[in-house]
Amino acid sequence: MADAASGSVDRSVQVKLVLLGEAAVGKSSVVLRFVSNEFQPNKEPTIGAAFLTQKCRLEDRVLRYEIWDTAGQERFHSLAPMYYRNAQAAVVVYDVTKGSSLEKAKSWVKELQRQANPNIVIALAGNKVDLVQSSSSSGNTSTSESEDEADDATATPGETPGSPNGEPESLRQVSREEAHAYATEAGLLFFETSAKTGEGIVEIFTEIAKKIPIEHILASTRGGAGRPGAQGAREGVGRQGGDVNLDENQPKGRDACNC
Amino acid sequence: MSVISTQIRNFKEPTREQLNYVFFSMPPPPPPKLGEEELEKMEINAVLSLGVAEGNAEDAYAGKLHLLPPYLAFTSLDRKSVRFTLPLSTIRRVERLNARAGVYALSLATWHGMKIIVQLTSLRPTADLFCSLLRNALKDQLQRGQMKNVKGFVKTCYSELLIASTSSSPENEREDGSLLDDKDGVPSEVAYHGGLGLRFKFPGDPRKLREASKIKLWTTYLRNHGRNLTLLRYPQCTRLVQVGLPNRLRGEMWETLSGSMYLRYANPGMYENLLEEIKGKTSQSFEDIEKDLHRSLPEYAGYQAEEGISALRRVLQAYSLKNPDVGYCQAMNILAAAILIFMSEEQAFWLLEVLCDRLLPGYYSPTMHGTLLDQRVFESVVAKTLPILHDHFMSVDVQLSVASLPWFLSLYINSMPMVFAFRIVDCFFCMGPKVLFQVGLAILKINGEKLLQIQDDGGFLNLMRDYFTTLGDSAHPNSTDPRAKAITNFQELLLVAFREFALITDETILAERRRFRNEIVNSLESFAKRSAVRNLHTMGRFTKNQSGLIYDALYKAICEAPPPPELATVAPPPTLLTTTDAPLDRMETRVGMRTFQVFLSEVATWARDEKIVLNGFQQRIDREIPEHELIHRLFFFWDTSCSGSLTLQDIVSGLDGVMFNDLMENIEWYFNLHDKNKDGYLTRDEVLTLSESFLFIFRHEVGDAYLGAVSRFMTNAFEYGDALLPQEENPETGEMQPKQLESNQPYLNLATFRMVVLADEILESFFEADLSGSFRLEPVPDLELPTTSGNFLGDLWQNIATADNKRIFHKFSDELGKTIGKHQIAYRPAIGRYKSLEEPKARESLLSPSQMHPQRMESPAQSVGDSAASASSVGNTSTSTLVGSSAPSQATGGSSSLTVDASAAGHAGDGSPTSAALSSAASALPAPHERAVNAARTLLERTPFAIDDVGDDDESDLDLLHGEDDDQVMDEVDAFLEENDQGLTDADKELAKDLIHAEPVK
Repeated sequence: MADAASGSVDRSVQVKLVLLGEAAVGKSSVVLRFVSNEFQPNKEPTIGAAFLTQKCRLEDRVLRYEIWDTAGQERFHSLAPMYYRNAQAAVVVYDVTKGSSLEKAKSWVKELQRQANPNIVIALAGNKVDLVQSSSSSGNTSTSESEDEADDATATPGETPGSPNGEPESLRQVSREEAHAYATEAGLLFFETSAKTGEGIVEIFTEIAKKIPIEHILASTRGGAGRPGAQGAREGVGRQGGDVNLDENQPKGRDACNC
Repeated sequence: MSVISTQIRNFKEPTREQLNYVFFSMPPPPPPKLGEEELEKMEINAVLSLGVAEGNAEDAYAGKLHLLPPYLAFTSLDRKSVRFTLPLSTIRRVERLNARAGVYALSLATWHGMKIIVQLTSLRPTADLFCSLLRNALKDQLQRGQMKNVKGFVKTCYSELLIASTSSSPENEREDGSLLDDKDGVPSEVAYHGGLGLRFKFPGDPRKLREASKIKLWTTYLRNHGRNLTLLRYPQCTRLVQVGLPNRLRGEMWETLSGSMYLRYANPGMYENLLEEIKGKTSQSFEDIEKDLHRSLPEYAGYQAEEGISALRRVLQAYSLKNPDVGYCQAMNILAAAILIFMSEEQAFWLLEVLCDRLLPGYYSPTMHGTLLDQRVFESVVAKTLPILHDHFMSVDVQLSVASLPWFLSLYINSMPMVFAFRIVDCFFCMGPKVLFQVGLAILKINGEKLLQIQDDGGFLNLMRDYFTTLGDSAHPNSTDPRAKAITNFQELLLVAFREFALITDETILAERRRFRNEIVNSLESFAKRSAVRNLHTMGRFTKNQSGLIYDALYKAICEAPPPPELATVAPPPTLLTTTDAPLDRMETRVGMRTFQVFLSEVATWARDEKIVLNGFQQRIDREIPEHELIHRLFFFWDTSCSGSLTLQDIVSGLDGVMFNDLMENIEWYFNLHDKNKDGYLTRDEVLTLSESFLFIFRHEVGDAYLGAVSRFMTNAFEYGDALLPQEENPETGEMQPKQLESNQPYLNLATFRMVVLADEILESFFEADLSGSFRLEPVPDLELPTTSGNFLGDLWQNIATADNKRIFHKFSDELGKTIGKHQIAYRPAIGRYKSLEEPKARESLLSPSQMHPQRMESPAQSVGDSAASASSVGNTSTSTLVGSSAPSQATGGSSSLTVDASAAGHAGDGSPTSAALSSAASALPAPHERAVNAARTLLERTPFAIDDVGDDDESDLDLLHGEDDDQVMDEVDAFLEENDQGLTDADKELAKDLIHAEPVK
């Protein structure tokens, strides 16, 4: 992939993507699986946001994802606009074993649709499906990897390794149908994923890549001085009127006066 | 679904005394206990000298000695070279020195025999006073038995061990700081507090860190200059800190330098008690803590073992239990994990307390306002000190805080390799929070060239990440000078931070924080508002903007009348819960009755009493909040979850239920509001309550039209109501008659009510539009924020312009206005449909048309506030009512046409006069109703109609007309009228409009 990217630098499109969702749904694990295809225990918690990049090939094009993995704790919420401003894509993650996490996801979607870049592509990801898959193998996996699970930043709290794997479906609190219906209604891409097994992870990013208005970004890149991401988004902001990122713009304006 | 918090608004700038406490790292003084005399505080000019130890005497420093019981503190004049904070209980002896005449010197001996000599350079009487206060404070400490605690406490300090075993100590340790001989080492180890590092080793290579020589230097310093509780901080102390604290001593020095040791000293046993309290408790914070335990410095061996994890858990839980308003915030786990390597749990607990409360105020609070504020401050100092870089960031739209926020929030611990981060933390505890800014600026400056090349946030972050991995490399790898080559990037960083950014002082940061605080508060509040509105389950028919206005009004009400704490953020009642876990974001703000009243007064014109006051100097509107059953009724009507409190959602839905109604819907709404048991019937009692609600809503209307309408309504309601009752035969007469009903039995249904209402044009028009229209969503004027300007004048103005002082000023100007005869008051009507008195008879009164308007008619002697006047007005009204009813069509003449009885007269044409109607209604009812109706009538008469305020009796009106003194007033009235001179009705309309749109004069 790296070779392809360097071979067609002009074709490489930079896409800013932000991950949002309630604490402990597995945002960081999703990114880690996508970026380095691993499931790493004991990752430090995300303070503010972590920043990673990964390239993704789509037909003859290469997308360079700039991924902002945000902190999930509620009190970091007021910092989130700093990270989702100018983002062209967002993955909103919830935990299929935790009903409240879908509610939080909905509220993120609402916020993105009103506050973020108007052309933003949003994907909804129901993570941790490995915990609810009925096949006995997945049950065994969870048990054997319980160490990882407990150490993993995103382990469901209170869940003991010995929890009833005999009836994994009972862990599920959000049905696929319910979430899918919501995603359709709100115009989101929808996936059920498992960062642990890797299920559905790459699909999220390729589907997003297909949906991103690449021509639009490229067009603005040519216009701007090689600043694809921010340039494109900024144009978007300019065209869409003052409603977007008002709060980001205001202090900037004042800065200008101060110095 | 949202918590509305006014916490950040209530910030108060610290006083000079509080700043002193902060400067000396002392715990803030506890509030004085009742019946206990507070020990006096004092400061005095003094010269400190310390000269006994082994010939290397320190210079004498001039400065200030502060007596802040139970502490004695000193700082040199530059406030940085020399300072100490001594608990008085460590002082064993104070002697006045027999020196040369004119020199007033004290010798203070500490418990370990160190002698501190202070020469008091103030005038003799001042020095004498200081000495006597010092004596009292010391005596107090002795009586409390504090002196005895010192020895036990210092045993927990490693420094004492260092001093005691002077030369032998370093020998029983390995280079890495762990004890050489476990068997012999253990007993002595129990005595002093230490961190996980003692067991799991300290990070870094001890040889590279030159632990041994550092320990030696510190041992010497501590022996001569005091240690732990008695440390005197001379310039050498700061220098030693800047080269890095030795690992074994680090925990204790952090404690001493930050002052958290004083907290631990003053609160023995508290940590253990908290641990007891924790048992069996659960909370949202505990849950959050649990998630992060295994990812706090996971690479450190101590946190791969249960010992480290459980210590971390206990410290964080204890903190969140003691500080429920902070609870737990991610990043605190990293801090706690870091300090636990060097400290015992108890030490770490108190250090965390000092960190979150004093050193990084507001950083970890639920709004994280402190973090946001300091990011703003950092941006501002970058703009000032590195303008080119700042401009570049602006031009490529890079946000500084994407990188710098974690630096500040975790004290660089998760940005840099630990060994380097801990050295920054050393300096941070020694020199204060400005270190974070200085280091941040130095990082940017050193990387300046490369930073000018970056194009976006991602590039910025990558560059920073790369730089931090090279901190241990040589800063001048190509230099031929081996000394220069030996300088690492990290050393260079500290050098730049403390040399080139020494201009960033604590004062700079305080001033910048003052400058930006309001901006942060505003942006946080508008963010909270947007979230709250967005999270509404339904906005009904309101637009986003209108919902925002509702939020504003509610926010203002919460500021003015904060809901009781138990209501402030409670989880919704269990019946509404869909899931069992209710995390913090499910919490929501609920308001009680008091807040609701303030809120309603914002949005409903009839839920407030607005007095328009003119006193010759200013025109203003005094708003008061009336108390009425209708308001309570509405509160419970909207409280659909029956929890005795309302959420923003309840209020939005409630308003949605009334503000968009048409005639029929409004009638039904009003009916339902009064149908308490929701059975579709009003009882007789409820019909009366409903009528009272009418009267309450109409209480300030001009004219008597509404009064008549209500009285007609009551007559009709009871007439129709009775007629529709099932008939029964009277056992005595054999005639059919309505069945007698108890007053609490179903009586009037919606259809009948509707019919009665529609029979009256005035009520119909009220329900058609006025009721919905009486709810108005208007922008709430900006609330006052804590002081913006840091300068003296700004503070002064802030002191003047408090609400209390404004009230005093208003009162004063009112009094002045009264004495010069220009004080006038009028009530603003809630509906204002009838803008003038339309009765023809009224026009025939002796008054000229220009005098018809209430607020201009107010004579100086007749202010409504004057209770005597209003009482006489009531008396007058009730008597004339009696008269009026007997002679309805007769104009009572003169200004009395403006009083209630005249209004009855005015309506004589279209039916029975008011009082007649009332009495007929009363006579048709059983006794209890009669009483109720009478009560209603009294209320009706007592209602402070605008006109009541106007006319007192003919005489005073005549006085007003003819009195010489009043000419001025009339002149003014005329002048005022000329502006609106369009004949009577137009002028009146204009005026009424003016009144409705009148803004309070500021």
